[in-house]
Amino acid sequence: MSSSSSSSGAQAAGLSDRVPNWLVPNLSGLHIAAVLIALLLIGLLLVPVAQVMIVAFQDPATGAATLQNFVDFFGTSLFRESFWNSFYVSAMSVVVATAIALPLAYITTRFHFSGSILIQSLGFIPLIMPPFVGAVAMQLIFGRNGTVNLLLRDWFGISIPFMEGLNGVILVQSIHYFPFILINLSASLRNIDRSMEEAAQNLGSHGMRLFRRIVFPLAMPGYIAGAALVFIKVFDDLGTPLLLNVNNMLAPQAFLRISSIGISDPMGYVISVILVVFSILSLWASFLFMRGKDYATVQKGGGGMAKRSLKPLEKTLAYGTVILILLVVLSPHLGLLLLSFGTIWSFAPLPDGYTLQNYITMWEGSKTFILNTVLYAGIAATLDVIIGTAIAYIVLRTGIFGRKALDYLATAALAVPGVVLGIGYLRTFHQIDVPFTGEPMASWWVIIALALMIRRLPYALRACTAALQQVSLALEEAAESLGATKRRTIQKVVIPLMTGGILAGFVTSFATAAVELSATIMLVSSNNDAPLAYGIYLFMQTPSGRGAGAALGIVAVIVVAIGTIASQIIIERDKKLKASGDAH
Amino acid sequence: MRGTILSSVATLALMTTAAIAGGKVTVITSFPDSMTGPIEAAFEAAHPEFDLEILNKKTSAGVKYIQEIAGDNTADIFWASAPDAFEVLKGDQLLSKVTITSEGIPDRIGAYPLNDPEGYYFGFAGAGYGIMWNERYLKANDLAPAKEWMDLAGAEYHGHVGMSAPSRSGTTHLTVETLLQGEGWDQGWSQWKRIAGNFRTVTERSFGVPDGVNTGNFGLGIVIDFFGFSSKASGFPVDFAYPTVTALVPANVAVVADAPNEDGAVTFINYMLTPEGQSVLLDPAIMRLPINPATYAEAPEGFPNPFEDSTIGASVKFDVEKSGARYNLVNSMFDVMITYRLDDLRAAVGALHEAEARYSETGNEEAKALIDEAWALIDANPIDEAQSLDPEFAGIFTKKRRKATDEVGERQAEIEQRWDAFVVENYARATELANKAAAM
Amino acid sequence: MTKAGIKIEDVHLSFGETEVLKGVNLDIKPGEFFAFLGPSGSGKSTLLRAIAGFGPDPRGRILIGDRNVVGQSPWKRNVGMVFQSYALWPHMSVRDNVGFGLKERKLPNAQIRPKVDAALDLVGLAHLADRMPNQLSGGQQQRIALARTIVVEPEVLLLDEPLSNLDASLRVQMRRELLNLQRKLGLTTIFVTHDQEEANTTSDRMAVLDGGVIQQIGTPQELYDTPANLFVANFLGTANILKGRVEADGTAARFVTETGDHLSLPAGMRSSGSNIVLRPQNITLLREEGPNTLTGTISHKEFLGSQIRYLVNAGGTEMVVDQSHSAGLDWFETGTQVFLQTNTSSAIVL
Repeated sequence: MSSSSSSSGAQAAGLSDRVPNWLVPNLSGLHIAAVLIALLLIGLLLVPVAQVMIVAFQDPATGAATLQNFVDFFGTSLFRESFWNSFYVSAMSVVVATAIALPLAYITTRFHFSGSILIQSLGFIPLIMPPFVGAVAMQLIFGRNGTVNLLLRDWFGISIPFMEGLNGVILVQSIHYFPFILINLSASLRNIDRSMEEAAQNLGSHGMRLFRRIVFPLAMPGYIAGAALVFIKVFDDLGTPLLLNVNNMLAPQAFLRISSIGISDPMGYVISVILVVFSILSLWASFLFMRGKDYATVQKGGGGMAKRSLKPLEKTLAYGTVILILLVVLSPHLGLLLLSFGTIWSFAPLPDGYTLQNYITMWEGSKTFILNTVLYAGIAATLDVIIGTAIAYIVLRTGIFGRKALDYLATAALAVPGVVLGIGYLRTFHQIDVPFTGEPMASWWVIIALALMIRRLPYALRACTAALQQVSLALEEAAESLGATKRRTIQKVVIPLMTGGILAGFVTSFATAAVELSATIMLVSSNNDAPLAYGIYLFMQTPSGRGAGAALGIVAVIVVAIGTIASQIIIERDKKLKASGDAH
Repeated sequence: MRGTILSSVATLALMTTAAIAGGKVTVITSFPDSMTGPIEAAFEAAHPEFDLEILNKKTSAGVKYIQEIAGDNTADIFWASAPDAFEVLKGDQLLSKVTITSEGIPDRIGAYPLNDPEGYYFGFAGAGYGIMWNERYLKANDLAPAKEWMDLAGAEYHGHVGMSAPSRSGTTHLTVETLLQGEGWDQGWSQWKRIAGNFRTVTERSFGVPDGVNTGNFGLGIVIDFFGFSSKASGFPVDFAYPTVTALVPANVAVVADAPNEDGAVTFINYMLTPEGQSVLLDPAIMRLPINPATYAEAPEGFPNPFEDSTIGASVKFDVEKSGARYNLVNSMFDVMITYRLDDLRAAVGALHEAEARYSETGNEEAKALIDEAWALIDANPIDEAQSLDPEFAGIFTKKRRKATDEVGERQAEIEQRWDAFVVENYARATELANKAAAM
Repeated sequence: MTKAGIKIEDVHLSFGETEVLKGVNLDIKPGEFFAFLGPSGSGKSTLLRAIAGFGPDPRGRILIGDRNVVGQSPWKRNVGMVFQSYALWPHMSVRDNVGFGLKERKLPNAQIRPKVDAALDLVGLAHLADRMPNQLSGGQQQRIALARTIVVEPEVLLLDEPLSNLDASLRVQMRRELLNLQRKLGLTTIFVTHDQEEANTTSDRMAVLDGGVIQQIGTPQELYDTPANLFVANFLGTANILKGRVEADGTAARFVTETGDHLSLPAGMRSSGSNIVLRPQNITLLREEGPNTLTGTISHKEFLGSQIRYLVNAGGTEMVVDQSHSAGLDWFETGTQVFLQTNTSSAIVL
């Protein structure tokens, strides 16, 4: 879908060069913006990914086009098993993530529950820690000889294989990615009109039946959106299985094969293609499912959301559930915190002693990492919201040819695993030199920022689209009828009204870009150019550096958490501002 | 480049003057920050005109990286442990032949020549593989440290051992190949599979093994010495010992072909071989064996000295050419037979341990025959040594098409699928036989 | 179907600090079509929701038949409510929407189907059973919502502004259908609206609410003709209110306005109060002075078709006067001086 559309974009660009006479007069500023964005996406996403994918379709012996590699893939039992394992882990992660997210979302949105905002914010925290860091901490807590199992063995003589094999991947991934479900499901639940529930209660329904037959189906679009993201992310994720030494999955198989010495085995590339295709299919399936199911808008004359007060017993139960879940999902952070303050932590429930030395070591060795991160993530997030706003406007408010394609193309970045993008950038930009310095572009630090920009664009785009959807078209028409040009209207009316959403998009992009590793690990060409996540990775590669790495991880989490809470506050304030007009 | 944005104008001016004097030396290395950091600091203190740029990549990824950027090279130095990785780069003509002055440095460490005879790469430190263990873990599980490789195959260590995959770690490859050369192809693989039957895990990175032992995730690990020494020096309750059959090999450094700053690269290598540079290796976070015997005078108590203790690493003579000829093939075999099928192998070996324990009580000869048959199934290799050294066959695993007309016979995927089917069936059958024997 | 009356006894209800219902008492007879009329914020919807069991529990008693439902869960009350937004579930077909309540009552499928068909037949939409709600027009959605509610045979039917989301012509048609249906089923029905015309045309009796207090209860005519207070007078229809006092002189009484005009009152009319309410259609405009006339000047006129509406400055205020129109009749131009003759027998002194 995206390939055909993007080629049309390319055609448009080419045509405008060749036949300017009849096309240029029609090109408004928005048309030019659309073409520029299309070129950017083609150059930074489509071409690099195609560079990787094409190897999968070449005969390794002759270089001729062939599908033999795919026949080999499905003919190899190891790959079939890897495929099945990836599928199983992704599906199970969705199940476990749902079990974590559903109670949190339900309790915080449907009841008067103090601390709801805090819980929603804490629920977002797992997303902003690189999963590989989480995996290290989870091993220490839930591992075979981690805190929990050592205590269980001492007290009851049993141990639970939380982290063995695929279990470990499922647990780490669920804890890391459940916020995708939490955020989307909460939004959906909040948007269910009170009368929808009351109508059912009025007809005799209540409790679990009410939830199962009315509330959950109505929240389904949000749930599916979140679940599809979790599925794709887990399916593509490389860091976690690698760190847990699970090799029999697709992403690690691709990485192991592509990055091994001397092997130009096409299988790694075949797997890359399969990863990309499967991700696009899942995205597409979720879009198909959600089409025509936009229940989420509050209907005319509706009463908004119904929040119920809890009875004392229910309240105890709810707090118990929430605290237990938060303990589990924040255990990587607790583990990391202990590790960062600990001296030696080996085969013991807790570290042997506590110290501040790790923070001192970290501070001495990681200023560059932090500065780099702020720079890269800042550039990436700024570009993301600019491009995101432009695409959102073009898609929602203009009839420019191929505008949907722009949307699909930008969203397709979701489906490209970081490693594939990283390898693609190395291949594509190596031959191109940076102007003036003569360095190859692939080792230029700006390329890291651009890779982060592409990786985070889908999130920013969604935030900007949502923000624009809330700006009534009439407000724009009013400005235009008063004589404002399109440009002035966008500047003076649309953008200011979108500010809240754009800021939220910026913070989300910034926060998640700041802890991204999978694409950057391929692109960092010097430790002086390395961002924070890479710094943590480096620290964690030495016996003496683990504590310092953990300290750096804690700093990252705190910085990003502050950003997240700030964006929550911005969103809430924006909501209140918009809602103040129509209070009864 | 980014300095222009991040630093003030004053710093910029300083940087530019430094750049004029000696310039930037870009180093691709598999060594961790804790090792490169002190060496970088010492070097830049001794030669302030140079600015060392460290780029950390796993050995295999580093080789791949240098291959990828060969058209427009930006790297000056490749710095890593495994000599075979240097062989690969040398074979691709990606290393530069330079002259290095090295006073007081012997020709060999253990039985291994220190430098490439043709002068493409140079040893700067020694390292050998051995066994590392976690004292608390062993105590809790009532185990004694293993002294020799084959001890690790004992039934008591089932599920307690960790190792990295040779395809992921150059030094691990060296250890695998050392045993294959020291014990012979069939005997070597047999030992590896029996040890691997006790594995808890095969880690993706070589650091995963010391990490697993340090945290107590598993009790014993097959690791390179400095991981053991530096972990111990960092305070972890761990220890390390060399088995008799180990290769003491140099960690190497080389100048990359078409290096943008060859002068700087040579200066760096020269510096590392000076007594001053060598003594940095004894930093508690590094703990590599210096190759200048004089430096050992500064070493801490109990630090091994291969130039005096002739038992370390003396019993194997390592054939670099043989190793290079089948490098990828051995990695692929290890992955197919062990890494990817660890669960099957572990189950089979576990069942055999039980059957053997039962046999030692019953003395049932029929059971013994079944056990022997099962071990034979596990030991069986899909190819023999002659085939492993057949350049045409090994070429399937290394092929790198230079011209569209280059033609290679079978595809790697087909061969791996055949091997996989072979071992999966053998392991399943062995498990079946072992269970049968245990029931007798 | 059982008919139940609704008794509301001294019901108070607060949202936090704000008291929304301040001691409401009502007695709705079985089978009655009863309207709650009031401006927004008057508490009419809150009262309806309290009967259905939504929102905080009120103080006081709400009796359906003879059972007090205060404190009872909404799903146990067996009152049917149709929501302003219809609240059709978008993920269920029309049939599933209508059958929902029966499923909740654990009826076997074999019984559900004919009941659903019958209910859909009743609202005339049997042919739309397999559509999804978003494929229906507003009026169709309204009828489905109604069918969904009556299919469970509730004891009382509550309608919360059911017509407010429909366009004007459909509104008139729907309110007739509603009334017909109510008559057919004989269901005790409460209809909440802020539109006096809807309340007037449908209800047997109604209660006018303001500020959480019932202002007056009665039939539409009673409320229009004899409003109990200025609020009711103003809220039901247009009212011209002149301030002044009643001067009694034996059996004869007259109302003296603040501007000093005299209006004689018929015998037997209430003889105390400081306001007189005059309906626009009960005033005749004359060119010459006559008995019981006020002097005024036309300030504005609107042609409404059957009527002409004049705004006239008279009696110290701007009065609304409606004159019926027929072809050939002369208009009064703005600025002309006119004399307003009032039919005081239909006037109300409050």
